[in-house]
Amino acid sequence: MKKTKLAAMLVACFMLLTVMGCGAKSGSETGGNATNAPTATPAQSKEPAQEGLTGEFEIQYFVGGYGDAWWLETIEQFQQANPKLNIKQSAGAVINDQMKPRWIQGDPPDVVYIDGAGSNPRQMIEDDQLLDITEWIQEAKNANSERLLDVLISQPEVYGGKVYNLPLVFGAYGNFYDQALFEKNGWKVPTDYNSFLALSEEIKASGISPYVHTGVYPEYIHGGFLFPAIISANGDNTNILVDMGEMKEGVFQSEPILKALEKLSEISSLGYIDKASSALNHTDSQMLFLQHQSAFIPNGLWLESEMKNDTPEDFKFAYIPSVTQSNGGKYVAIPYTATVAIAKKAKNVEAAKAFIEFAFTKQHSLNFAEKTGALMNVKADLESSTASDVVKGAMNFYSDGSTLVAPVVEFNPDVKTEMNNATVALTLGKITPQQWGERVEAAAAKARK
Amino acid sequence: MINTNKRTWFILSFLFPTFLFFTVFTIYPIARGMYISLFDWSGSSEFMTYVGFHNFVELAKDSILWKAVANDYFLVAGKVIGIVVLATFFAVAVTRFKIRGAKFYRIIFFMPNIISVVVIGVLWRFIYNPNIGILNSLLSIFTEEPVRTPWLGQAGTALWSILWPSIWAGVGFYFLLLVAAILNIPASLYEAAEMDGASEGRQFWSITVPLIWEQIKVSILHIAITTLNGSFVMVWIMTEGGPDNATQVMGSYLYQMGFKQFHMGYASAIGVMILVISLITTLVLQRLLRRDETQLS
Repeated sequence: MKKTKLAAMLVACFMLLTVMGCGAKSGSETGGNATNAPTATPAQSKEPAQEGLTGEFEIQYFVGGYGDAWWLETIEQFQQANPKLNIKQSAGAVINDQMKPRWIQGDPPDVVYIDGAGSNPRQMIEDDQLLDITEWIQEAKNANSERLLDVLISQPEVYGGKVYNLPLVFGAYGNFYDQALFEKNGWKVPTDYNSFLALSEEIKASGISPYVHTGVYPEYIHGGFLFPAIISANGDNTNILVDMGEMKEGVFQSEPILKALEKLSEISSLGYIDKASSALNHTDSQMLFLQHQSAFIPNGLWLESEMKNDTPEDFKFAYIPSVTQSNGGKYVAIPYTATVAIAKKAKNVEAAKAFIEFAFTKQHSLNFAEKTGALMNVKADLESSTASDVVKGAMNFYSDGSTLVAPVVEFNPDVKTEMNNATVALTLGKITPQQWGERVEAAAAKARK
Repeated sequence: MINTNKRTWFILSFLFPTFLFFTVFTIYPIARGMYISLFDWSGSSEFMTYVGFHNFVELAKDSILWKAVANDYFLVAGKVIGIVVLATFFAVAVTRFKIRGAKFYRIIFFMPNIISVVVIGVLWRFIYNPNIGILNSLLSIFTEEPVRTPWLGQAGTALWSILWPSIWAGVGFYFLLLVAAILNIPASLYEAAEMDGASEGRQFWSITVPLIWEQIKVSILHIAITTLNGSFVMVWIMTEGGPDNATQVMGSYLYQMGFKQFHMGYASAIGVMILVISLITTLVLQRLLRRDETQLS
């Protein structure tokens, strides 16, 4: 009697648990929508004569600094063009975590915008999650019948000879300064490494530290100082950055990299790098920069809009891509991006391709600048847009031939971590450039296995 | 018969849900973690490759991990000494030395415990800020040149700089625990001691410490376990394990490996190691702290 009752209760409990488990699963699928992003409903009012795509189509996008306004509008237009397509949006600030179980189970969305914490396109490729679009992208035309590759500012990265994702956002690292401060002190903006050294000495003498960087995230000084220096030292040949991304044997101990590291080592031993740097995260370092405790900061083109609320009124943001080129050499800009890709297990590849063709147009590019203040990776006439002056100024650098824009390179996470750690150690004078090379080369050798 | 039946059901109704939740939320994740530690898995892939004990072999060869273990024990030792000494001192001060405003101090000391660790981390980041932090400003009063030490940015000071806020944040709870223990000691014991001519120090060592030893022991064990498992938060907010892994602890290294470098199998192996190390530490500490129990009769 007692035993049967107990057994009945056990069964009941497990059934309850199973139901709870099921509930959680279906919840996570719908929970992906951004708070203010209603799931797009098919626009039924359109004339029935329109054919377009059919079936289910799901798109996953991270909502961060760029917001979701551009996505909502673009997807709505895509919906109107394809009234019979049932579009599902999985979006939000933590969408990468929310969708992870589905990627692991092999039930991904069709299109994914790879951005934000917990996402890494390189890892997705290594996990065999993205569709190989090498052939398709060669021929693909956008909604205006222009060849897609022709309208891109930054070309897609090639991994082992194949293309898996397209850069959607275009930005670049560089060095920022306050033009008003420079004018007040009569400082001349450096055009090469030697003039940067001379100016740094002058700035230092005036009691301001010349260069503050974000020690907790060395990506910034890599993008603004080290990587441009490497390319300049490689005779303006950007292939070395690609080789670094591909972890070619010996590249991290090659001469151009050692030369660039010498420069980094030099400016830290001369005391041009703010002593505080190693302890600072991005908000700390940007705060010191805005307070004129430091003259230059290596950062990304998002800096101005990120610090909009904290910027003093008389502050005039200005940008130079690099400070490490030799006299007469070109500026070097290291781009950053966030990409879109089609899932390898996408259920509606046709719609996924159509959406990419639909989105990568001038109109959507202008709208992106309008909605986010940042640039989409499609060439468009920015003068008429609401992009910030710094962004427009940066674009002038890229288009007037004075600047070399490096290709987008996504590093292996292990190698990137080791580079970050070694760079901090180098700026603190704990290791030599040779040791930097040895450490990163060892990390690369391990990652190649 | 009916009564015993009822009683059994009553007891079961408490035990069963607890056991169920314990199994689902504790036993299963631990078992799953151990299972994953035997695989090479990115944490996001559909595919896992069985590698046996390879992750553990790699762990043994990983110099960063051993640095992290050393850092963890540094924090355990620092926190145990710092928190227990301070908490005991404060507890004795507010109970035995008829200080005015004792209640006020109880609230003040407990304050950090109700602040989120994240807030504490951010707060102390500001205190340590090399250029605008209050610590360097204070030190600058005594020096000719303004002090610009990047406390969290150099290997020599970074871990110490994480230790202080951890102690500051931890004292309050153990202080209250010890206050309650001391208040439980009958006043007559102290009165008798006083009549026999025992000094305050003598009373502390011979009456207070033996009678609150159980609580001190619990405090030490609790600090050790929570530090080994939870020092991650403070480290991650203040330094993210940097500069150059100088403040890496096992928890932060686990996170770095699992979620930033996509080696979930390896991260799980670190997790298993934290479990083993915590167990061993607890056992050893219990051994060391064993003492003849003193009980009020």
